Amino acid sequence: MARDCRHTVAGTSRSLRLALAGLALAALVLVPTWRTDAAPSGQPVRIGSTLALTGPLAATSLIHKIVGEIYVERLNKKDGLLGRPVEWVLKDDQSKADLARTLYEQLVTVDKVDLIIGPYATGGILSAMSVAQRYNKILIHHTFGIPTLAKYEMHFPAWSLGPTPEQTFPNTLFDALANSAKPPKTVAIVTSKFPSVHFMSVGARETAKKRGLQEVLWLEWEFGNRDFGPIASRVKDANPDFLWIGAIGLEGVMLLDAAKKIDYVPPGHFHLYPAPGPTAKAPEAKGALAATIFEQHPPFTNNPVAAEFVKEFNERAAKAGLPDNSVETQAAASFVAWQLLEAAVTATKSLDDKALGQWLKTNRVDTIIGRLRFDGANNYGDDLMRVKQLQDGKWVVVWPREYAAPGARLMMQ
Amino acid sequence: MHRPVKAAAFALVILALAAVPALRPPAFYESFLFLVYLWVALATSWAILSGFSGYFSFGHGAFYGAGVYTTATLASRFDVPVAWTWLAAGVAAAILGLVVGAVVFRVRRLRGELFALLTLAVTFVVATVVLNTRIDGGPGVFLAGVDAPRIYGSASGSLYVFALAIAAATLAVAWLVQYSRLGRGLFAISDDEDVAETMGVPTYRFKLAALGVSCFLAGVAGGIHAVFVGYVTVAETFSLTVPLFVVLMSVLGGARHWLGPCLGAAFIVALNYAFVGGDWAVVGRAIIGATLILVILFLPHGLVGTAVSAWRRAHPAKAAPAAGTASMPAPARSEAARQPVMLRCENVHLSFRGVRALAGVTMEVQGGEILGLVGPNGSGKSTLVNVISGYYRPQAGRVLLGDDDLLTKGGHRIASLGVARTYQIPRPFSRLTVAENVALAAMFGAARLDRISAWHESGRWLAFVGLAERHAALPSQLNLHQRKFLELARALAARPRLILLDEVLSGLTPSETAHALELIRSIRAGGATIVFIEHNMRAVLEISDRLVVLNHGEVIAEGEPRAVIREPEVVTAYLGSAHA
Amino acid sequence: MPSATLLGQSLLSGVFIGALYGLLGLGLSLSWGYLRLINLAHFALAFLAAYLTYQLVDVGDWHPVAALAAIVPAFFVLGVAMQVFVHRFAIGEFASLLVTFGVTVIIESLIQWIWTADFRRLQLDHGALSWRLGPLFIPIVEAAMLLVTLALTCGTWAMLRFTYIGKAMRASAEDPDMAAAFGVDHRRLALLLSGLAAAFAGVAGAFIALIYTLFPAQIFTWVGVIFAVVILGGLGNPLGALIAGLVVGVSESLTMALTEPAWAPLVSFSLLIFVLVLRPDRI
Repeated sequence: MARDCRHTVAGTSRSLRLALAGLALAALVLVPTWRTDAAPSGQPVRIGSTLALTGPLAATSLIHKIVGEIYVERLNKKDGLLGRPVEWVLKDDQSKADLARTLYEQLVTVDKVDLIIGPYATGGILSAMSVAQRYNKILIHHTFGIPTLAKYEMHFPAWSLGPTPEQTFPNTLFDALANSAKPPKTVAIVTSKFPSVHFMSVGARETAKKRGLQEVLWLEWEFGNRDFGPIASRVKDANPDFLWIGAIGLEGVMLLDAAKKIDYVPPGHFHLYPAPGPTAKAPEAKGALAATIFEQHPPFTNNPVAAEFVKEFNERAAKAGLPDNSVETQAAASFVAWQLLEAAVTATKSLDDKALGQWLKTNRVDTIIGRLRFDGANNYGDDLMRVKQLQDGKWVVVWPREYAAPGARLMMQ
Repeated sequence: MHRPVKAAAFALVILALAAVPALRPPAFYESFLFLVYLWVALATSWAILSGFSGYFSFGHGAFYGAGVYTTATLASRFDVPVAWTWLAAGVAAAILGLVVGAVVFRVRRLRGELFALLTLAVTFVVATVVLNTRIDGGPGVFLAGVDAPRIYGSASGSLYVFALAIAAATLAVAWLVQYSRLGRGLFAISDDEDVAETMGVPTYRFKLAALGVSCFLAGVAGGIHAVFVGYVTVAETFSLTVPLFVVLMSVLGGARHWLGPCLGAAFIVALNYAFVGGDWAVVGRAIIGATLILVILFLPHGLVGTAVSAWRRAHPAKAAPAAGTASMPAPARSEAARQPVMLRCENVHLSFRGVRALAGVTMEVQGGEILGLVGPNGSGKSTLVNVISGYYRPQAGRVLLGDDDLLTKGGHRIASLGVARTYQIPRPFSRLTVAENVALAAMFGAARLDRISAWHESGRWLAFVGLAERHAALPSQLNLHQRKFLELARALAARPRLILLDEVLSGLTPSETAHALELIRSIRAGGATIVFIEHNMRAVLEISDRLVVLNHGEVIAEGEPRAVIREPEVVTAYLGSAHA
Repeated sequence: MPSATLLGQSLLSGVFIGALYGLLGLGLSLSWGYLRLINLAHFALAFLAAYLTYQLVDVGDWHPVAALAAIVPAFFVLGVAMQVFVHRFAIGEFASLLVTFGVTVIIESLIQWIWTADFRRLQLDHGALSWRLGPLFIPIVEAAMLLVTLALTCGTWAMLRFTYIGKAMRASAEDPDMAAAFGVDHRRLALLLSGLAAAFAGVAGAFIALIYTLFPAQIFTWVGVIFAVVILGGLGNPLGALIAGLVVGVSESLTMALTEPAWAPLVSFSLLIFVLVLRPDRI
């Protein structure tokens, strides 16, 4: 009797296992075949890239994916590239630099794509760049934070930071502050040790010194720090006129939140690369300054291409469930990368990397963030970073004045 | 298959793989296999210590990371040739590991989870130091223009060969370790470290050696990987990925076999790679999770574990060790017989947190005798055995075996001097077979036989205690009586001069007891000296030459058995005083 | 020399984060100690709860307490279901690491699928309010978390120590066969315990949502420190987990107040290593 019982139990558990296995198998078979329809006719131009769609760097991946899809659709609606339809071969590098390298090798040596386009984030781009270098491919990439590391002569940054953003950008910021109603005399610089952020903060520190600002506090924390209470307390103790927060994502908001809990609001605060949406929603972030290359207001949207892109992106982002639907640095840099690629291919009427690279190096390209050039050190041109401020729950560019939103100017509390 | 044949086959496979780049495949295949080899090296190196000895480390990331940053620093800042930086990477990781191990392995309590915690903490500490010093400092290290020495024309082909080399070396080391003395010792440590030490396994040295080798290999793998990625950051290098994945891979493949982690690594890397399509990245990741769950449901013992038990079921009869004769073999050291004094305890004191267990025990064991050691429960008999076998270190006193003071020696040295013991509650190595249990004693005890001789030796002793039939069984498949006899066989296989028998008779039926006493007599006849701890007074009186009575950690009587038990103090100790 | 206010405030900050470590560690410690289940999915459950709290409070406009009241029973059921699964397939200690890793990855994907990988942050109207206590400020949400943690920890401790269920659990963990002989139904106890552990993950998750920012890959960033806290506190020891959490939290905070914040992990984990090596018996 007991034995029979056991038999039944074993039997059901086996069939349960089989059912589970069947489900998984079905998923395995179905998923790869379930693809979106490819371009209608002709030999497509295949453009390969990876994005960190999963893993620790995935936060902004969906933005880049949507932009790429929008752009490829636009191309195919027109005339494609060189009259041929465009196919985007996208892979997920899982936020791993070693996998990014392997995938770019796959794109180049096995999938034999015609062109590659870069991922975002410094580590992934460096991996892609080394592959591009070995196969003499041009690499246009989205958001690469440390220009001095980009040594390859055929890489082209869409995020136009200039060759030394760690000096030029803090100067832009401090210019803006110097021209405000209440120029700061003392500054506290606190920063995450996230590589592309830390290097800018170190530059800001030197720039502040050169400009005669008194540094009352310099602090670094490990990226991924959870407890901002002590750091907020130290900033409060130092009581600076202005606070530079070398933050990526929401570290800046967490710091401000911790500050508010001890009844402290820094008089002025700057966030390097904040997540724009949630930051805008945080009341304590009122008046925050940040870096940007594009915001969806005039004069940027005076460009019809930009205006159209903004509209389309807003819709798609809302549909995809993104917390923030507006176009800013990430989406704009991504768009610009595709613009550069299209411009070069159209001008040279070629998919030859050498020709494309040569053309990009010697010509200026109009994009939604301005005219880009690649003839400076390490293929960098001008620093196009602007200063934006959170005013009435919206990000608006306030400096330089010619890029400021209509009527907007830097407000100091 | 014989081992040389296997080794040749292994070498052939590696050579064939090393020739792959000569076919000029697309670089992608080389890079993909590079990742497989990297993880094979990391997971297998982890298993050399953690899989074999059961010391699960969560700190493999620290040793791998030490390798990554050694190569990154030396190659990018000091222009050291890359191949040399790899050697340095291994050495740096090994030094880090040995320093950690030299401290940690001295503390008996730091096993199991505490060891895992400690190695995890080491990872945090190393990562913080690298992040905040000039080694990295925050911006990451870019290995601009650093490339592997060219073996094939292409960079990916050359790196491929080096990754293959470290993976092959790691597998070869794991294989050699598994079938060597070191490996046997590590498996014993994994099952019961204290027993292993008492049986002569130099546990401290073995663990340290395994950790050193494991770290060296992980460090070299890290160094090679640094060149592969070209840009290393603290966040990525010291993330949870390495320690977590080596554990997952080893558990999936089977951590107690050299090939297990290798299969687990290949499986997980390939699985991860199966879902890199951009359209379904998130769903793909979920499928990876589901697959891992399914695999472990179907193969709860891992890939290799399941394969091995299937193979065992198909080929049940593994050759038994030669049974030999059931009679008592020739004595190991016949000159030992009838020495005047073999063991002398002088004024041994031992307290546990203020509770006195031994209060100045002084006694002698004469060569060739059977000494009965008796006393009521809690009188200190087993404690004394633990002191003599080196498990406890008394606060005062001396224990002399011949001219050697045992208290200055570790447990395994005492075993090699010819002391063996049994445990009151049998403590066999639960995942080794009966024959392997006995062979282990022959390898590490005073006999110090090599693996093959130890195997044959185990057959003799199993036959002697009547367990020859059960040689391939696991200890859990034996009954109590058989397990007691297994204890005895293990003690005898060490060929000791002095055997400490701790209540071998308890729980046996009268006929089994008679059989056991028979065996004990024939052991003595073979020339060994026996200390016989027992509650069964009739058996004690029947077999002992002399009697020592302990009470409250003191010797209250000693001498001719029948005279001793009539002494009033002894009677009081057992029956309580007349006034009570 | 840092001011006394700075030190006091940082100490408080350390106590709060330490309490969260303890709260997150509590369920993990119970299932590891009593069920021999190394439940990596505990972190995934906590973050699932955090995202649900975000959804209910931020989008659905619920009161946080109402969200908590909905999440706790739901997670209890989830925990029970997981234990049914574990029991049915007789998953052992190390196999559990693999299975729960698989579950974690699935939950992570689910979160990313529903809420995208972008940062989320729950914005409460009064989230940043504080009480003033002399020169110090006590944030209300954190204070509530500390109280809840203390209540759950002490409650669990008392349950294990004084009730029949608790005694049965301890007996069953020490010697399952013996406990079974005395009529302890290990299976039922395991279901209860697993449900409790998941419910605790739910509570911890709700507070994570109220205090921190959300991002799917964060599931893994807490694993290291919480494992450390759980082991340091002693497996299956609720008070130990809380005390260990406080020790790690406070030592990190004070380091951040006194020196470079980036060095904080060095201090807390070196301290831990010293304790382990020099006084292993105290753990």
